[in-house]
Formats: sequence, structure tokens, C-alpha cells
Amino acid sequence: MQLTGTLSLQRIGMALALVLLAALVVVPLFFIFLSSVQGSQGLDLAAPLRTVAGSGLGEVYVNSLWIGLCTVAGTTLLALPLAWVMANTGLSRHRWLDIVLLVPFMTPPYIGSMGWILFMQRNGYMEQLLPAAAAWTPHFFSVFGMVAIMSLHLFPFLYLILRGSLVRIGGSKEEAAALHGGSFAYRFRRIVVPLLLSSYAMGALLIFVKTIAEFGTPATFGRKIGFYVLTSEIHKYISSWPIDFGKATSLASVLLGTCLLLWYVQAWVTQRHSYQLVGGKGARRSIYRLSGWKAAIAWAYVGGLLVLSIGVPYFSIIAASLMKLRGQGLAWSNLTLSNYVQLLAPGSKSMQALTNSLTLSLAAATLAVVLGTFLALMIHRAKTWPQRLTDLFSMLPNTVPGIVIVLGLIIVWNAPWMPIPLYNTYGMVVLTYVVFFLPYTVQYVKASFTQLDPALFQAGQVFGGKPSYVLRRILLPLIVPGMLAGWMMTFTISIRELVASLLILPPSMETSATYIFAQFEQGKVQLGMAMAVVSVGLTTAMLLAVNYLSSKKDWDV
Amino acid sequence: MYQVNKRNGLKKGALVLLTAMIGFSLAGCGSAAKPAANQAAEPKQEAPKQEVKKDEEKKLSGKLVVYSAGPKELAEAIQKGYEAKTGVKVEMFQGTTGKILSRMEAEKANPVVDVVVLASLPAAQGLKKSGMTLEYKEAKNADKLIPEWSDKDGHFFGYSSSALGIAYNTKLVQTPPKEWADLAKEEWKGKINIPDPAQSGSALDFVTGYLSGKGDSGWDLLEQYKKNGVAMAGANQEALDPVITGAKSVVAAAVDYMTYQAKAKGEPVDLLYPASGTVISPRPAAIVKTSKNVDNAKAFIDYLLSDEAQKMVADTYLLPGRKDVKAKDRPGAEQIPQMKVDWAWMDANGDAVTKKFAQLFK
Repeated sequence: MQLTGTLSLQRIGMALALVLLAALVVVPLFFIFLSSVQGSQGLDLAAPLRTVAGSGLGEVYVNSLWIGLCTVAGTTLLALPLAWVMANTGLSRHRWLDIVLLVPFMTPPYIGSMGWILFMQRNGYMEQLLPAAAAWTPHFFSVFGMVAIMSLHLFPFLYLILRGSLVRIGGSKEEAAALHGGSFAYRFRRIVVPLLLSSYAMGALLIFVKTIAEFGTPATFGRKIGFYVLTSEIHKYISSWPIDFGKATSLASVLLGTCLLLWYVQAWVTQRHSYQLVGGKGARRSIYRLSGWKAAIAWAYVGGLLVLSIGVPYFSIIAASLMKLRGQGLAWSNLTLSNYVQLLAPGSKSMQALTNSLTLSLAAATLAVVLGTFLALMIHRAKTWPQRLTDLFSMLPNTVPGIVIVLGLIIVWNAPWMPIPLYNTYGMVVLTYVVFFLPYTVQYVKASFTQLDPALFQAGQVFGGKPSYVLRRILLPLIVPGMLAGWMMTFTISIRELVASLLILPPSMETSATYIFAQFEQGKVQLGMAMAVVSVGLTTAMLLAVNYLSSKKDWDV
Repeated sequence: MYQVNKRNGLKKGALVLLTAMIGFSLAGCGSAAKPAANQAAEPKQEAPKQEVKKDEEKKLSGKLVVYSAGPKELAEAIQKGYEAKTGVKVEMFQGTTGKILSRMEAEKANPVVDVVVLASLPAAQGLKKSGMTLEYKEAKNADKLIPEWSDKDGHFFGYSSSALGIAYNTKLVQTPPKEWADLAKEEWKGKINIPDPAQSGSALDFVTGYLSGKGDSGWDLLEQYKKNGVAMAGANQEALDPVITGAKSVVAAAVDYMTYQAKAKGEPVDLLYPASGTVISPRPAAIVKTSKNVDNAKAFIDYLLSDEAQKMVADTYLLPGRKDVKAKDRPGAEQIPQMKVDWAWMDANGDAVTKKFAQLFK
């Protein structure tokens, strides 16, 4: 009796999940597809293919894939050693590093790229500090530089996934192997790699997708070096005259197809290499003690990473925000705080933009966590195909370039038949952010959820726990870290969200990101950079607070 | 828990069908709800409008949605001035000409914009041609406008304008290039930016204007530019910025008012107009035909052409649209050498030129 009750509840939940996702994600994308095949003379299913087969686009496609692959390699190179060090050595005590490492990820890509450009360009800060650098700084303006910028922006993302996974692998399995005579290399190869593979596949896929769906860096840095990718082409067709939605949506469907294929590969890898790592038994951590020089190397690595991912861009950002005249360059006499005074003046446009950003992000993050957790629980282990469908749909926003989703949402919510007047309101922005960042919560919660041993719930049931009790006392406490991570992620990225905001904000409403963008467009780079400093500073402070509160409750697995 | 799930695989399949059905019925509800909603909404909106017209002729109220190309301070100053004068609340979206046009395209099904302020004349001609603008012949002060910058039928008004020149960094450049052809010289190799005509309305006006005068041979110069490493660099400010910081030395086809603004601030930049002539790019404003606030929109156009707003235009170092308002601290329209251009050709060929330009400078 009780079992059927649970079942029908689950069915309703499943149906609700699918309906919600259909309305929020699938229908808008379907309309995009529809507009890409709707030629002037009725339906033309081959239109997207013909567009992409058209001249020059093949190269752009290869460029996208290439930059994606290189960035996956780059982030792996940066994140894997760091994750290992932070999971297994004495450095793991320094949890502040986790927060600091979120800073590069919270830095909007277009601002980070701008920082690098200001630093490396001719007569830039690097040459002003060290004139001899002029011999090699031009080499930075190449695909290598672009990959470096993107990797330094995205590696914390992979790092967090890998470290979480390494921590869950725990020391006991490695110890068992060591006891049986396994060397470090053997243990790494036979224990760590296989157990890490599913998390890595997921992380690498997300990095790849984020890279080929990114538009900030290609739009700033890529254009400077003449390197064009799918997103910059799509953006061009959408945002500059003459507009060609058909072409943009055709390119987007190619991008979507690629991402779906990769997603399929990733799901296959995950399915074959997924293990329950969190059991009912308490896990014990064993920590490597690093001897003097090893510790020095580890610290040097961490330090170097911090200098490159935070030091350089933020030197540029802060220096630019403090300048009186940009043409004067670095000089003590050229420094001023007046940009901040202007920025933070009460009632100014900039303060309104900042408040807008904060409230929008709070609303979006909270909604996204509620919805995302619900979806993740519905997806469960993605065994049945409604579950897999839910999984697929909830991941779609991460596999489609943001700009395409935004257009889909505009087409749907601004359609004449739409009865809900959400378009051109505050709510539309929140909705867009939620759709955009839903995959984060789903991913994080799913990651903590799939590694829970079903025995935990069975134990709860055996001892007479009702489903609600099991949910409250066993499930929720164990997935709260995932929810929290999802909330923080959504909050920090939606506060810097640019693409959607540019297209969907009601007229006369600004967020900090669109404000910054507008300042760049208006040539007030100083004000834009000052805003960047303030908004990133605010989010970092908030993260620190959340981290402090959560560490008190000892939620970390 | 999931053993149970496995056994119920079939039922789950049925569940999806059910979901799909719900989806369809929801969609059905949506379309069914439409006429009802419209009927309910329309009379409500129209009733007060008629009352206003009958009772008080001139009193304005409500709101106005404006999509405006920069410069930002000017747009904001005009917004403030108009709001103070009429009591109408302005909702403003700011972006480049390209962004505004694309936003209008995205909102085609359900337009909200009342007035567009663009930075390119052919763009406005295009809007007029596709029947998206509203005629407003009675605009106050329209007779004082420079006639070539506006539509003679009153569909759009060139309330201001900018000219394209050669901007350069005064710290890096002692003897600036004097002519468009000079920029193809070896000494400027890799040191020049050109704005992207796909993003900047005025840059497009320059390129199409130049080509309309020179014919196909005009492409020779652009090809030489490309060979000389001229970099296409986003909209106008993005092209000018690296020159201010010294990363590049020169902007070809720089929008003059931006350079003058930076110069007034003390940045090391200056600008000159080649003696062989350049293009003056008018910045037109138009009322959108689908406007739901026509009276407010007309008042906005009147305000744009008023003494007050024209002075604001001059203060931003733009060329005022009215013959009787003087430019401020910069050469006036009559002092700028102009080349012969064909606006009709520019309107007709804008798309093709943009495409070819993008291919060339990629």
C-alpha cells in the first residue's frame, strides 16, 4: 500500500518535471529550430545543413572544436595536480584556497580577457613594468593566449569536481593497495584513475561545452587575433546588422548536435565507471605529509596558479579602475579614487545596476536550487528513459550557447499567443537565469546523490522511516552540500551574466554586467573596471560568509 | 527503490505519453486563451485614450519606450529633459545600431518600442522602406533641420550627426597621416584599427559612402588596408580605446565626437579630416509604426529638435541637426570636406558591403 503511494507520487513528480522542462527549455529550443527551417517558401528541413555547408563555416567549426579540446587539456593540466594536492596533502587544511580559486571563475570572461589584453598589448602594463617584455608579449596574441585565458578562467570548475571526487575516493582504498605493495604510480593508475574517470568525464565535457559556447573571450580576445568560432559567428548574425536568425539558429543546431553527441559519450563513460563511494561507514582521510622541498613545490605551484589566474587579470582590472587618464599609463600621479566615488554615489545608475544584479541573482539562485534539486532527485540514476529524458533536458541549457536559449525564450515569451505577460519584466530575467543555470544545481545534486549507497535508504525504510522521514533525515542532509554548491554557483554566475541580460532586460533596467559592457562601449573603461571590482568583491564576500556558516555546521562530506 | 522502477518501465512509457498529452492540451489552452485575452485587454486600453483626446488636448501621461544608440550621457540627458517637460516616463534601451535593429527583429511579434534613435541613415531608410516607421510631418522645428539628413516625408529626423576622420595617438604619432591613402603606407603597418561596419552604423556609412563615390575601385584601398595589417576592431569605442592606451596608433574612419570627448578629458588623442573628403553620418530618430504611445512619441521627436536638446547634442561634440545651432569646440558641418556620396546606393548595398568587408578583414 505504502509502496504504491510512493510510486504514484513519483509518477506525478516525473510528469511535472518533464512538463516544466518542456515549457522552460525544450519548447524555446524547438521554436529556434522551427525558425531555422522556416524559409521564405515554407518549411525547408535542409536549410540548416546548407547554411553550415556554406563557405567558410567549416573552418569556424573546426576552430570551435580545436579551442574546446585545447582548453580541456589546459584546464586538466592546471586542475588535476591542484586537486590531488588539495585532496591528499597538508594543503587541504587551507580551505580558504577553495574560495580564492572561485575568483577566476567569478570573473566575467570578457573582463578577464580585457585584463589580459590590457596587460599584454603593445604599450600595455607588462611593457610599462618591464620594457624588455616587448620582445615576447606579441606572441601572447595567438591561439595559445586564448587557450591560456580560457583555461585560467575555467580550471577552478574542473578542480572542484575532481577534488570532491578525490576526497570521496578517500585514503582507505589507496591504503589497502599500498599494504599489498602497490607503488604510487600503480595506485594512481589502477585506483585513482578509474574511480575518477566518471567525474572527470563530466567535468571535461562541461569545460568543453562551456568553451565552445563561450562568447566573451572570442568576442574580445579572439577578434583581436582573427580567430573566429561558432559563437562569435552566431552572435554576429544575431546582434549586428544585417540580422539573420536563420543562419544563427542553423549554426546553433550544429553546435547543439556536437554537444549532444559528446554528452552521449560522457553518459556512456559515466555509466561504465560509476561507483558508490559514500557508504554508511565513516570515511577516514589519510594525508600525505610533504617534506620540505615537496611542500615548497606544491606551494609554488599553487602560488603560480594564483598569480596567473587572479594576479595578472586583477592587476589590470584594478589598475584600470584607478586611472585618471588611460593614455598616461601606470604612474602614481595618474591614480585616483574618483571612479569609485562616482560609481558608488547613492541613487546613481551604477548603484541601481548593482542592486538589480544582487536581487535578480538571489531570486534566480534560490529558484534554481529548488527546481534543480527536484529535477536531480527525479533523474535519480537515469535508469528509465523518462529519467534520462529529464536528465537530457535539464542539461540542455549547458549544451546550447546562452544566446540561442535567450532567443528561444524571447520568441516564446513574446509570442502573440503567450497568455502570461512575463516578457519585458523582472520575472523574465529571473526565468532566463534559472533556465541558464539549472544544470549546475542538477549536476551538483546529482553528483552527491548518485554516490549515495541505496543501502542508506533501505536501512531507513527497514527501521520504519516513512518516505518523508527518509527524505528529511537521510537524503537532504547528504545532498545539502550539492545544493549549496549549486546555489553559490548560480548566484555567482548570474551576477555576472551578460549575454541574456543584454537581450532580455526590460528597457531602462541595467545589471552590473550590462553596466560594465555599456561603459566599455562608451569608452569609460575605468568605471567599468571599478564596477567589476565591486561586484566581484561583493560576491566573494558573500561566498566567504556562506562558507563560514556552512563550515560551522560541518556539511562538507 | 529502483528495482520497483525497473518493473514499471512500461508504465513510465505511458507516463511520458501522458506528459506529451498534457503538453498539447496546454498548448491548446494557450491558443484558445488568446482571442479572449485580447478582447478583454483591448477595450480597456482604448477607452482611456479616447477620453484623453476629447477632454484635454495636450496633456501627456503614461510612458514611452525608446531604443537609443549612444552616446549614453546624451541619451540620458535627453531622457531626463523630456521626462521633466512632459511628465511621461521613458523606458530606455541603449545599444549600437545593430543591437537595436536586432532587438526590434526579435520583438517583431510583439513590439514594445515607440521611438528608435539610430546612428546610421541607411538603417532608418531601411526601416522606412519596410513600412516600420510612422510619418510625422508636423514635427516642430523640422523645417530648421539640415534637409539631407532627414526624410522629406517626415518618417525620420536627423537630429544630429558625426563625421568620420583619422584619429591618432599624439604621444606616438608626430606626423599624422593626412589622407585615406596614407594609411596603406608601410610605416603604419599593424598600427591601425578600423571599426566594424557590421556593428557601427557610422562606420558602415563611411565604407558604403566611400564605395558609392569610387565604384568598385574603392575596394582597392580597403584591400591595401588589409595588406597593411589594419585590424577590424568592434564598434567605434572599441576601435578608439587601443589608440588611447597606445596599443595602436591610428583609427581609420574614427567617429569624430568620441575622439573630441577623449581629447577634452585630456587623453593623448586628436583627429583630422582628409582634404579629399569624408562622410558625415547623420543620426536619425523615428517613430515606430506599431507605437502604442504615439502622442508621447511625437512629443519626443519635438523635444529632440528643440533648442534645449540641440544644445545637449552640441555639448557632446556631435554636430547638431538644426542649421541654426552651432557646433561646440569642433569644426561645423560646413568646415568638414565631404566626398560625394549616394545615399540611395548606400541603402541598397549596405548588406552586401558589410558581408564583403567582413570577409576581407576576417
